[in-house]
Amino acid sequence: MQKTKTKAFSNLVISVLLLAFEIWAYVQASGFRQVKGAYVQASTFPQIMIIGMAIFTVVLLVQSVVKLAGQMKPDDPNAEAAPSLNPIKNKGFGAALLVIALCVLYVALFDSLGYVLVSAVISIVIMWLIGKRKPVTVILVSVLVPLVMWFIFYKLLTVNIPMGVLQPLRDLVDRI
Amino acid sequence: MDWSLLFQSYGAVFSSVQVLLMTLLGAMGGVLLGAIPGMTATMGVALLIPFSYGMDLIPSIGLLLGIYCGGMYGGSISAILIHAPGTPSAAATLIDGYPMTKNGQAGKALSVAMFASFCGGIIGALIMTFLSPLVAKVAMKFTSAEMLMLAFFGLSVIVSISGKSIAKGLISAFFGLLLCTVGLDPTYSVKRYIFGMKPLLSGFSFIPTLIGLFAIAEVIAGVERIINGEETQMKNSEKITNVLPDGKTIRQIWPNILSGGIIGTFIGAIPGAGGDIAVFVSYAFNKSFSKHPEKWGTGIPNGVAATESANNGCSGGAMIPLLSLGVPGDAVTAVLLGAFIMKGIQPGPMMYVEELPTVYRVFAALMLANLAMLLVGCLGVRLFAKIVSVEKKMLYPIILVVSLLGAFSINKSVFDVGVCVLFGVVGWLMNKYEFPLSPILLALILGPMCEQNFVRFVDLNQGNFWEILHHPIAIGFFVVSVATIVFSIFNQRKINRLESQGVPEEK
Repeated sequence: MQKTKTKAFSNLVISVLLLAFEIWAYVQASGFRQVKGAYVQASTFPQIMIIGMAIFTVVLLVQSVVKLAGQMKPDDPNAEAAPSLNPIKNKGFGAALLVIALCVLYVALFDSLGYVLVSAVISIVIMWLIGKRKPVTVILVSVLVPLVMWFIFYKLLTVNIPMGVLQPLRDLVDRI
Repeated sequence: MDWSLLFQSYGAVFSSVQVLLMTLLGAMGGVLLGAIPGMTATMGVALLIPFSYGMDLIPSIGLLLGIYCGGMYGGSISAILIHAPGTPSAAATLIDGYPMTKNGQAGKALSVAMFASFCGGIIGALIMTFLSPLVAKVAMKFTSAEMLMLAFFGLSVIVSISGKSIAKGLISAFFGLLLCTVGLDPTYSVKRYIFGMKPLLSGFSFIPTLIGLFAIAEVIAGVERIINGEETQMKNSEKITNVLPDGKTIRQIWPNILSGGIIGTFIGAIPGAGGDIAVFVSYAFNKSFSKHPEKWGTGIPNGVAATESANNGCSGGAMIPLLSLGVPGDAVTAVLLGAFIMKGIQPGPMMYVEELPTVYRVFAALMLANLAMLLVGCLGVRLFAKIVSVEKKMLYPIILVVSLLGAFSINKSVFDVGVCVLFGVVGWLMNKYEFPLSPILLALILGPMCEQNFVRFVDLNQGNFWEILHHPIAIGFFVVSVATIVFSIFNQRKINRLESQGVPEEK
């Protein structure tokens, strides 16, 4: 296996990315408003945490470099493989990205379409995506679960859940 | 102690049909609420307080304690079965509970959790009955120095829950502690990492973050596994002949239950420290003293027993400062304090003088609540265990929509649903690259406590941190923390060595 496809290499890349994030977070913390006469500034605690995180990121970086440069042979067959991030080769990864995109869409439409409708749609799409092909079951489960959950939260736990376009349903339940 | 009054009070509580019924109803509601991700025991108690207005004190306290104890156990059901802790204090239960489900032992995991919860609750109730004035006295000596070192002690547990790579575990923990600083600084209200987003002023809500890290991350990973053909449908072929653990299992887990119950009670008795801290401390403590630490995290009943007994032990512990000092030990007892005041009773030192029969009846009600929780658990264990047989292709979308609703319901905020999704992605990526999630969770719990007490202590001592050396309890916590870290590193090295020698993991 090529070294660039090993777990050690992915750890190296992650360490570099984390270090960049830590530098950014430290610089941001340095810009927090200073309070006169305070023994501990608002930036102190986050900066201590960033330093702690950076120390162990460097440890991870060194461990990865030692593994890649020292112990691991070129094209080592025993090296642990890093997870593939190519959505074309790794279809599962592509599907996971699609689910994340659907979740983002879910958040965007939660208020306007309402919990029941948006949940039913996302359930149907995900079930179809992962190979559940019985339309009656898919639709029944996807509609009933959010509906029952909404009813429990709304009626029994008195939590007001957005209903969006299905607002008349809530009015109907209120009247009953 | 007035023994005859104590027995009379127990008799009165256990023979009252109204109290029995209310406590049982409370336990049923608590188990159901606790099992829904996002619904906590605190929410359940707060929601049902209005229903207890018209009742006498003891039935209403029975109802609320039933929800409290039931909710504590209920949280472990979803943690064990679907990797989504129903309540924050069930988060440590999934470390061994979920692998047990994956190993086809869902029923056993549930029955161990229920039995340990019950025993932990009873240990808590007994300690509360006999030692409450003494424990309260010690707990109330806690100043910011002791609280800071208690938080440090809690954080020292991280090494033992870090898994293979301690470096990755500590990176997760520091990342979690950094996340806690998002929002307004608790002392001077300085904005930190807000980027103009108003909902971030109060930081990331804990429950949506928790649901995202565990439940949503599991859904995303599950979809990935199904598409790649790596997901195996769990069939609940396990035959549950006994709803309680068998004799062999009880012999195996009783030390964990005992130590967990005691740890839970004492941590629960410290105001501000609750079940969410106690479960991790108990897990790490029991793992450190185990003969086979390498088996912890692979799905062993000891891990479930250690956490669940600590979780329910907290219920008794949290009642100690409430009754003896009028100071609630956690959020649920804060709501219970309201219920007492509503009934015209002011908890505090004078309660032991003026309302001793009421104090003893509350002890009895807690004992009864634990029994009710056991009964509900026994009746439900077969039903709960069937959840794992639901086809994964249907289960994942269901978990997704139920979890996202749980995230919304905490603050009724769509922003929280977004936070939940964001941390779902973070959790999925962290899992993918083998960064453990438990340290980040523990850091999220302890971070605010750590920072607030650090700032308070340094400010009170005009910048002189070394003043902490004049606090013997704090030094005690520091020594125990260092010992825990050393022990955990030693244990982890032993585990890594055994794994490299090819010792098979327990299935």
